[in-house]
Amino acid sequence: MADKKERSGSPGQEPPEPVPAGATPRRAGLGQRLLPYAGYLVVTAGLCAYGLWADNYYYTQLLTFIGIHTLLAVGLNMVMGYAGQISLGHAAFFGLGAYTTGALTVHLSWPPLAALPAALAVPALVAFIVGMPTLKLHGYYLGMGTLGFGMIIHILFREWTALTGGPNGLVGIPVLSAGPVSLAGGKTYLFLVWGAVLLSFGMCSRIVHSRVGRALSAIHFSEQAAAAVGVDTMRAKLEVFVFSAALAALAGFLYAHMVTFISPSSFSFLVSIRIVAMVVIGGMASIWGSLFGAGLLTLLPEWLHVFSEYEVMIYGLVLVVVMIFFPQGLTRGVLDAYERARRRKTGAGPSA
Amino acid sequence: MQEFLQYLFSGITNGAIYAVIALGFSTLYSATDLINFAQGEFVMLGALLLMTLWTQVSMPLWAAFPLAVLLVAAVGMVFDRVAIKTVKKPSPILLVLITVGASILFRGGAMLLWGKHSYSVPAFSSISAVEIGGAYLFPQSLWILGVVLVLVAGLNLFYHRTLTGKAMQAVAINKQAAELLGVASRKMTLLAWGLAAGLGAVAGVIISPITMSAYDMGTMLGLKGFCAAMLGGLGNFWGAVVGGVLLGLTEAMGVGYVSSSLKDAIAFLLLLLILYAKPTGILGKASSHRF
Amino acid sequence: MSAQGEEKPAPVLQLEGVSKSFGGVRAARDVSFSVAPGHIHAVIGPNGAGKTTLFNIITGVYAPDSGRIRFEGADVGGRPVHRRVAMGIARTFQNVELFSGMSVLENVMVGLHVRTRCGFLGAIARPPWVKREEKLARETALDWLRFVGMEKVAETPAGDLPFGWQRLVEIARSLASRPRLLLLDEPAAGLNARETRDLGALLKRIRAQGVTLLLVEHDMSLTMEISDRIMVLDQGVKIAEGTPREVQADKKVLSAYLGG
Ligand SMILES: Nc1ncnc2c1ncn2[C@@H]1O[C@H](COP(=O)(O)OP(=O)(O)OP(=O)(O)O)[C@@H](O)[C@H]1O
Ligand SMILES: [Mg+2]
Repeated sequence: MADKKERSGSPGQEPPEPVPAGATPRRAGLGQRLLPYAGYLVVTAGLCAYGLWADNYYYTQLLTFIGIHTLLAVGLNMVMGYAGQISLGHAAFFGLGAYTTGALTVHLSWPPLAALPAALAVPALVAFIVGMPTLKLHGYYLGMGTLGFGMIIHILFREWTALTGGPNGLVGIPVLSAGPVSLAGGKTYLFLVWGAVLLSFGMCSRIVHSRVGRALSAIHFSEQAAAAVGVDTMRAKLEVFVFSAALAALAGFLYAHMVTFISPSSFSFLVSIRIVAMVVIGGMASIWGSLFGAGLLTLLPEWLHVFSEYEVMIYGLVLVVVMIFFPQGLTRGVLDAYERARRRKTGAGPSA
Repeated sequence: MQEFLQYLFSGITNGAIYAVIALGFSTLYSATDLINFAQGEFVMLGALLLMTLWTQVSMPLWAAFPLAVLLVAAVGMVFDRVAIKTVKKPSPILLVLITVGASILFRGGAMLLWGKHSYSVPAFSSISAVEIGGAYLFPQSLWILGVVLVLVAGLNLFYHRTLTGKAMQAVAINKQAAELLGVASRKMTLLAWGLAAGLGAVAGVIISPITMSAYDMGTMLGLKGFCAAMLGGLGNFWGAVVGGVLLGLTEAMGVGYVSSSLKDAIAFLLLLLILYAKPTGILGKASSHRF
Repeated sequence: MSAQGEEKPAPVLQLEGVSKSFGGVRAARDVSFSVAPGHIHAVIGPNGAGKTTLFNIITGVYAPDSGRIRFEGADVGGRPVHRRVAMGIARTFQNVELFSGMSVLENVMVGLHVRTRCGFLGAIARPPWVKREEKLARETALDWLRFVGMEKVAETPAGDLPFGWQRLVEIARSLASRPRLLLLDEPAAGLNARETRDLGALLKRIRAQGVTLLLVEHDMSLTMEISDRIMVLDQGVKIAEGTPREVQADKKVLSAYLGG
């Protein structure tokens, strides 16, 4: 598992090092103790550097989008990568977050920050209610169930015109402001979004390295064995599903107040699949991989302009190819392949 | 009454199409334990290929129809060889992602080939509609029902009267035992993919005169076909047929008497209800692992 | 209770008329027996006799078609699997069911699940008590690994261990839930003679910890040596029960094994 390697530091070591009973097995230096935080430091430093020196509206927008997509991907990764439960309808929670805040701020003129709790709670509640029957399903049926759920919510966005504006969407969502301080657009918003991303990373990694995370991981390997060992599997799955829905809802909230206009097409089946593709590329059960996956799938379409026609196809191709050749995800797959190649080389060295 | 009859006709017509799609799901499932999330895309390919062959290449219908079906069947078989057989450790989650990926890939490919337009093709025969009790029965509906009946009868014969069909059923019942008896289950799997894809294509071909065909029509139809298959019991031949008709009727009545905006939601609501109502029955053999 | 006269301690486990069939296969037919505290109670019988099925019924994996299961006097019938673990029933599996990609230590820590409390919010907030609990869990898990002699491989992925070691890790994992009744499904299968001897000693040490053992085992010399009581199943029916000596002398048992 990914987290295993992070923790024990030396993944390449072949024979299991005897852990002297009682004694502390590892005497970590400062560098090693900081290692788990390296990602946070690098991202923070990068953002500060960007904040100080760069001033390009386009890139700021792009980076903000990467942040929002990362939130979506890391949330889904908790469900799919760690707990091993497929969800093909995650865009629904993204949309529910966006439409809840949209409806409250546009129709009832709530201030956005007051709408935030509702924008998190409504999707979380929906996740709870829907999760109870859905998460009893496995494999294909879970896939179909979540897909169907996503479709229904999408239809709801399209048809409940009074609340959502129907296919034309909801216009005039206010930008964020905290009292007199406007958090609208630009770099402030970028920092806000990335603050949320780092916070979510912190939360996810704490969950992963906890009693709950071990239970999820156990469910991934064998749900029945996990139950037989004492894990309330239904509860564990439901909790992580609700958590992941809340993260998607947060992404939806941030998205709605960034673009100030939302329409059903931003929360369609294809969007769900895009989130899945981000997780798959970044690597199942890899928190930082989600950042990579979200980054890549946000940047690629921008870089390759011809891409737009092919965009959809490329998600499909990526899913198929990555799943066939690197079922653990692209980052892990590439790392493993590199590791294998290196070992083969060093193994062949002496004999040659 | 007249209204009711009209809804009945349209329900049965659509239901027959769902039934064919459901048969595709069931055929593949009983041979391979796999649910193909790209099944709807075979329907789309069938519809668009027929459109091209018939109205653009000006082939006669009697040639365009089978050719479209065979081409899609070939796509299905190639897909099996390229993307399913190559998976080293197949697990449902992997296969779901692969077939979902494939469905997107097919959609994207269709968009490149045919663009984002919606196409329509003329009805298979230019006879005018028949009036029954004030409601109109369109000849295309009769075509659809006819094709579906022939198909169901043919499949039935295939399964019960031919060696290959029997062998396929043997594989469906017990892979290892069939293998021991000399039935090559890999070949049967390939055949099942061809059949499933071909069935999807037939549905696409016969539906194309009564709907607009476009690159993105498959997802919805695929889900409805799956819903129908689940309604009748996945892997059950007659169940797929009954489930399809039932779904078609429910939809038509729901749209007619409740609201037309409900149309697509009905299938999904039904699907969720079925999934929730009998998760243990569904879990059945495939996913529950014996200690 | 005292009306029974003798000072028999209340049984830890009690099955009353338990039946279960799968389609046409009747895997358990009206099985009744009880397990006294502190005993090693063996269940033997030919392949397909219904031993594993019995374990699955006791742990709640299957619901019996009829009959009653009492654990320490309480009817556990309707309780889900994980609740029974929390009550004090743990098990191992005939085909080891470790979480293969997780480390040995983590596997045992999952076994501690029912004896720890940290929930979702606790994990996110990580207050001091959670840190303490986590540290304690780690130490306790290491202790259990030491108990079965597997502390050396604590950090190894469980799936990488040889089969015999996996069995021991599984025992450690089940002990971590602090059971009062431990069900072991063929723990000696696939072990060599020396490992089997060590296993026998380990089982006695487990009993010395106050854990009652219900044991399915095909290795007769091991079973006869360590069991206090033996029950014999054949085609779902209990055909004999008694001390090892009594069972060995039973004609029905002999014929069941020789396929009579
Ligand atoms: N989930 C199930 N579904 C169908 N049949 C089952 C199931 N579980 C057990 N059986 C059947 O019940 C009978 C008893 O099986 P069980 O596994 O309990 O035997 P056992 O005594 O443990 O045998 P062994 O010594 O081989 O482990 C067998 O005929 C088996 O095929
Ligand atoms: Mg057994």
